[in-house]
Amino acid sequence: MILATECDVANEVICAPANVNELFEFPAIFTVGGLEFSRTHILMLLAALVAIAILYFGLRGQRLVPTKFGAAVEGMVGFVRDGIARDVIGPEGSKYVPYLMAMFFFLLVGNLFEITPLINFPVTSRMAIPLFLALVTYVVFMFVGFAKNNFRFLIDTAWPKTVPIGLRWLVGLIEVFSIFILRPITLAVRLFANMVAGHLMLTLLLTSGVIFIAAIPEIGVKGSIGVFWFALGLFMFLLEILIGVLQAYIFTLLTAIYIESSIHFEH
Amino acid sequence: MEGNIDNLVGALSLVGYGLGAIGPGIGIGIVAGNAITAMARQPEMQGTIRTTMFLGIALTEALALIGFVLFFIASA
Repeated sequence: MILATECDVANEVICAPANVNELFEFPAIFTVGGLEFSRTHILMLLAALVAIAILYFGLRGQRLVPTKFGAAVEGMVGFVRDGIARDVIGPEGSKYVPYLMAMFFFLLVGNLFEITPLINFPVTSRMAIPLFLALVTYVVFMFVGFAKNNFRFLIDTAWPKTVPIGLRWLVGLIEVFSIFILRPITLAVRLFANMVAGHLMLTLLLTSGVIFIAAIPEIGVKGSIGVFWFALGLFMFLLEILIGVLQAYIFTLLTAIYIESSIHFEH
Repeated sequence: MEGNIDNLVGALSLVGYGLGAIGPGIGIGIVAGNAITAMARQPEMQGTIRTTMFLGIALTEALALIGFVLFFIASA
């Protein structure tokens, strides 16, 4: 998209896109009953389908010696079930495995769309998706908290008995603010910010690298800088794989931690 | 470009976010460093330590994330 903008490579020092939103907003492709479908929507549905397909084809037909793909999927499923749900929440964690599993695989696929050739757009870099997932998590851990502890959940958070009386109101205020307001926001913004930063950095480094390398005949110095930038972009490409997997893991892990803290919220 | 106050506002909010990210950066370093020390001393407690570490990082990082949001609000 940057490549399409007018840029006099020989004379201009910086080739900047007119607006950074160009990288994240796509025009509507078709409309169904007033709902406009853009590339983002299609990618979001595709991410869900891919996540379902991975689980379906990976775990279909249990056999004594699983295929390589099956073994890899089993490894990931076991990681979410044992490493996240049961380790963090405890024995009751089995109840939340389906939710955590769906979230982990959707986020994993959505994040890795960033480095998938021909797609190259992380759907999770649109605030709507992380925000919606974070709100679902918010509803889940609020519901669990109030269902397990009645209104002690709210009262004991706002008025913690273990804290000395002088500081109790301050600690209570901070706790209420951080648990009831800040948690869903930070959960969503963490994922969103990481994905936006990664997408911006990749796009800028790789496309400006290509543009600058194309300028080698006119200006040699710029071209050599372009080679460096392109190499840096390729390195970032590898780093983004790590970041995509890590952010999916952290989002799922924090969901599990929040659910756990509403089940046993006294400590 | 010259004399446009909007550019200045954007640049200032960027500097503000940079300042806001210093504290959480130090904090996350301390949390992660101590978690590594703890894991090296007691490898059998790795799972618990990792969970607590991520919780601590999440609480610390919240400040930087608030700064990030405020950057968008201020520069919009």
